[in-house]
Amino acid sequence: MPARDPAGAAVLERRYRRLLRCYPPAHRAFHREEMLGVLLATARPGQRTPGLGQTVNLAACGLVIRVRRIPGWLAADAGQDALAVVSLIAPAVVFILLVLQAVVFILLVPQQAAMNAAASAGSVVPGLLLGPPSFGKSVVVMIAWLAVVVLGLTGRRRTAAKIAFISLTLALLALLLVLVVLIQQDHSFYFNTFPGELFPFLPFGDVPVVLASLAACSLALSPGPRRGLAIVGWRRACLMIAGLSAGFGFPFIVPLVNPAAPIWDLAFRLLDVLAIAVAVAVTCVRGPVGRRVAGLVATGLLPTLAVAIPLREVPAVFPVPVLVSLFAAMLVWPVAIISWRGRAERRRRLAERDLDFTVVYAEAYAEFQAFCTRRRLPASSTRQLERAWDAWQDGRYRRGEISQWPFYGDNPFRPR
Amino acid sequence: MGRWLMYVYDMKKRSMQEPTFLILTALAAGPQHGYGIITDAEGISGGVTRLQTGTLYMALDRLRSAGLVEPDREEIADGRLRRYYRLTDEGATLLGAETERRRASAAVAAQRLRARLAGGTA
Repeated sequence: MPARDPAGAAVLERRYRRLLRCYPPAHRAFHREEMLGVLLATARPGQRTPGLGQTVNLAACGLVIRVRRIPGWLAADAGQDALAVVSLIAPAVVFILLVLQAVVFILLVPQQAAMNAAASAGSVVPGLLLGPPSFGKSVVVMIAWLAVVVLGLTGRRRTAAKIAFISLTLALLALLLVLVVLIQQDHSFYFNTFPGELFPFLPFGDVPVVLASLAACSLALSPGPRRGLAIVGWRRACLMIAGLSAGFGFPFIVPLVNPAAPIWDLAFRLLDVLAIAVAVAVTCVRGPVGRRVAGLVATGLLPTLAVAIPLREVPAVFPVPVLVSLFAAMLVWPVAIISWRGRAERRRRLAERDLDFTVVYAEAYAEFQAFCTRRRLPASSTRQLERAWDAWQDGRYRRGEISQWPFYGDNPFRPR
Repeated sequence: MGRWLMYVYDMKKRSMQEPTFLILTALAAGPQHGYGIITDAEGISGGVTRLQTGTLYMALDRLRSAGLVEPDREEIADGRLRRYYRLTDEGATLLGAETERRRASAAVAAQRLRARLAGGTA
């Protein structure tokens, strides 16, 4: 047993502690010490490092528990706040990306035509990015998203959501149409062989559907952009919008700087993924709300990732990013609905009559009331009482007065 | 209760996983701590299944959420926390149902093997 080698046991324990970080904090708080006890008890004599099987098992189980807790994580108050922040930043990022595309269209189309004429082999800027000459529709889409941003900020969340939905539906239909025709006709992605009958639909399909889907559902299901602004403030909101626009707009910004940039090379595509990941990490990941925002916004990375992974020629893999875009745009919905259910639950509980704890838990009344007064905890509604009760029980647990960890124990104010 | 019903409904659709069955069986004899469950489960399975620590605590977390097991008591042994778990009434009911299901399947298998043996020797 490791007890024969205290130094080795200490090393092993430290390594197991590090491994247990794979588990969510709440699970660690409840199970860490007993898990460590079991892990050390089952260790071989003189063992100093966790075995490969044990390591894989702990990492996999930690991941499974984390995934299992995602619905609760999203439905928590911070999940709702994150959705509100997304409803603030996602429409703005979509609008900026549309503007960037338009700028690329205006500045690079003449150059592109000249380049295509000069060299028939290989296109430097993809056809869908530039699109056919139907700039008018792109302007309409752009104005629609500007309206979404402005309406959201002025408190007309539902109208903003409706416009976002119309644009999103058109974009999804356009993408679906493109996908079907491309698969049927086996067309190339390149501008010169792109099926002409799709041209009228392309401006609608230029909308980044995953971000647009995030924007539409967060506007529909969250408290709205004004709440998001109250949470993060103007300065951080602008930083987030600028950072995410730079990350997601990377393939548009680079051709503006260097029109001959090989944006369909694998290295560039990987750089694009990295740019988005860095932008999400730098601008969003701060605090529990920021981490949830990052998690939601990171879904926008999926189409870029799908473009970056295949090593084959672009025309052959074109349906993959479109398919992934469609899938990711759909994936956003259940996630948002879970967050919304948390909000609905909170509203329902705010609407119901507060419980009287003198009746609910008469025997502990005096002690609990004294605790609330001493700690100056608000205790006038059921929700406040639920938190105060947990805090009281937590103190009792730490002092050893009760054996059950409070958050798993009985709370008379918690809905069953 | 609702979650437990969902769990039971789910369990009725597909058979209980082996680690879950072993853990519930180990706890049927009385409250046990983690290491005790691992050694007992190994004995119950005839040494075939050895639960990994991660698997055990993932299953315990799930079973506790479903109300099938609950913490019983805690004690400190060799400076380490030991938490004992016990089977709840719902857990015992579910284990009973699963035992019956397995017994019925085993009976059918035994009957068919007997018939096959009888056919072969005839």
